[in-house]
Amino acid sequence: MIEARGLTKRFGSALAVDHVSFEVAEGAKVALLGANGAGKTTLLALLSTLLSPNEGEATVAGHDLASDGSALRASIGVLTHQPMLYEELTPEENLRFFARLYSVADAGARVEELLRAVGLWLRRDEPTAVLSRGYHQRLAIARALLHRPPVLLLDEPETGLDREALEVLNRLVLHAPGLTVLAATHLRERVSSWADGVLELERGRLLAGRAVVQASRAAAGAAR
Amino acid sequence: MNATTAVLLKDLRLLWRQRSGWLSAATFAAISVLTYSFALDLATGEVKPLLPGVLWVTFLFAGIIASGRSFAAEAEQGTFDALLVAPAPRTAIYGAKLISNLLALLLIEVAVLVMATILFNTALLSVELIAIMVLGTLGYVSLTTLLSTLGSRVRSREVLIPVLALPLLTPLLIAAVHATGGALDLPTGGEPWLLLLAVFTAWTALGSVLLFPFVAEQ
Amino acid sequence: MSAQTPTADTASRGTAARWALAALRPMLALYDARWTLLPPLTGAFMLAMLVGAVIVAPREAIEGEVQRIFYIHVPSAIAAYLCFFVVFVASIALLWTRNLRFDAVARAAASVGVLFTALTLATGAIWGKPIWGVWWAWDARLTSTLVLLLIYAGYLLARSLSERTDVQAARYAAVFAIIGFVDIPIVNLSVRWWRTLHPDPIVTRLPGSQTLPDSMLAVLLLGMVAITLLALWLVALRSEVEQIGVRSDDLRTEIDRREAQRSGAA
Repeated sequence: MIEARGLTKRFGSALAVDHVSFEVAEGAKVALLGANGAGKTTLLALLSTLLSPNEGEATVAGHDLASDGSALRASIGVLTHQPMLYEELTPEENLRFFARLYSVADAGARVEELLRAVGLWLRRDEPTAVLSRGYHQRLAIARALLHRPPVLLLDEPETGLDREALEVLNRLVLHAPGLTVLAATHLRERVSSWADGVLELERGRLLAGRAVVQASRAAAGAAR
Repeated sequence: MNATTAVLLKDLRLLWRQRSGWLSAATFAAISVLTYSFALDLATGEVKPLLPGVLWVTFLFAGIIASGRSFAAEAEQGTFDALLVAPAPRTAIYGAKLISNLLALLLIEVAVLVMATILFNTALLSVELIAIMVLGTLGYVSLTTLLSTLGSRVRSREVLIPVLALPLLTPLLIAAVHATGGALDLPTGGEPWLLLLAVFTAWTALGSVLLFPFVAEQ
Repeated sequence: MSAQTPTADTASRGTAARWALAALRPMLALYDARWTLLPPLTGAFMLAMLVGAVIVAPREAIEGEVQRIFYIHVPSAIAAYLCFFVVFVASIALLWTRNLRFDAVARAAASVGVLFTALTLATGAIWGKPIWGVWWAWDARLTSTLVLLLIYAGYLLARSLSERTDVQAARYAAVFAIIGFVDIPIVNLSVRWWRTLHPDPIVTRLPGSQTLPDSMLAVLLLGMVAITLLALWLVALRSEVEQIGVRSDDLRTEIDRREAQRSGAA
């Protein structure tokens, strides 16, 4: 589902991502581990076409990074520690806007479904600015899943989540069957509860060399 | 096109919710006209020859204040990234910002024209004048919208955007002032000012559309 | 120059770059020899220009000695435009290749260009005071030169407010530089039209409007070569400094990161 071959990103003369190759199978949940500045965020930015690589190539959900950016972006959901929401809009308006931006066909029904799923249905008409941080995070999860992306890229998703938001994240993302997940995190001890495999970056390099992660649990439905 | 309307409708809604920002630009425009009246003795002196300059300087400053923020809010809330990871083409995002800025500024400018018509007892709301205004506003808004992508983390960006924009807009200011003067039956030296204004607007709009994807990238 | 860091964005871009490189090979050889060629050449031509301007060229009949400032004034203006053209080309190259080297070249050329624009304005003012009777006149060429100075001063200001290694800021500055360069002819045209509206300043004679005697022309040409070489040398030096600056910034970040890692491990 995600395939990277020799992906490289330089900033000036510094190598942020250094010839990274890996494969993630459909439905697999993969943790991307590494210290601060190891290149996790840069790698995710490359895979979401926010940055373009200096070398190497990658496909996400069958779409090539360089030539097929628009289709690639349509098949990924992105969730970072920053909620990426409009504070002056209500939760419902936020989701309706993103549904329109992604050309979601059944926008109204999908927005309602997600607002209910993350427990924001009753507060859908309040300005997002007055909602607590936990609600922001839950709404951000709903935004990332809105267009039913087969692949989800997460950057430190568990940082600063309250218990309810963590439960929503686990239910809708980390344990969602069929969804392919690549999540950068530094919470090494939490990883074993959800991840099928681990990719570890150190100074831009993948420690395992070339890694292939299969979906051992979620897709196959069997415990490891 | 779908993405453009989505972002445009969202921006117009935000414009309404954050109207304090736009009202302050409108208030600034009103105060600016008033200040010129005192400074240049517009109340008693011969108004007409000075009026085009007064109007366009007011439009330019109000426009830079107002449209300078169009991408800053997105960058601060992190929503700019959300737009960029959506499948929408970057040009669509720019187009939506451009249109929403243009609409808001035209509103302010019409208000200024009405105010000036009353204050200086000069008929300013003619079709010709409005056309010049729309053309000139499109020209400077396309540039200031592009320049407003200057990252919100850059120090003193509020000062920097006018410093960058105004020298580039020299031809627009000159052409717009004289075209407006022509519409008010002032001597303009016979140069095709309206054509210059149209050419300048066409190239800033085109150049901005072509170059926006480069500044939008991280 | 871009060959050292090939960008793998598209294959066609790579072949296009290779063809361009093959065509540019002789120029690249000159570029590699810049440190051996430029200093002696610049020195020789500068000296010749000075001797020519002060001694060889005849005293101008009407304007007197102050006319000799033109042997610097006119070449400076040309060098400034040349520098801004370099900024333009380097900015396009930066957007095309994403190689930060071109940002260093653009910044270097912009600062040298601003220097020569300021020199043009200053020498113009020194000439204008005795001849026009004023330091500054709203002459079309003077006015558009001032706008030119403001555009590129803005460029340098914008670029200096962010980190040298900030790719986004470099790209923003490049976009601004491209728009600015295309803007120059429109500025010149609009200012010329604008000036025709107003009474002319007390200009007895516009510089260069009369045909120059051969000896003066020869010195002027000498000056153009000398100042152009000087500008190229300055741009080369300055971009080298900028690139060393980028590298030292990178090294410093790397050191900081390793120290943070070590203290984190300990």
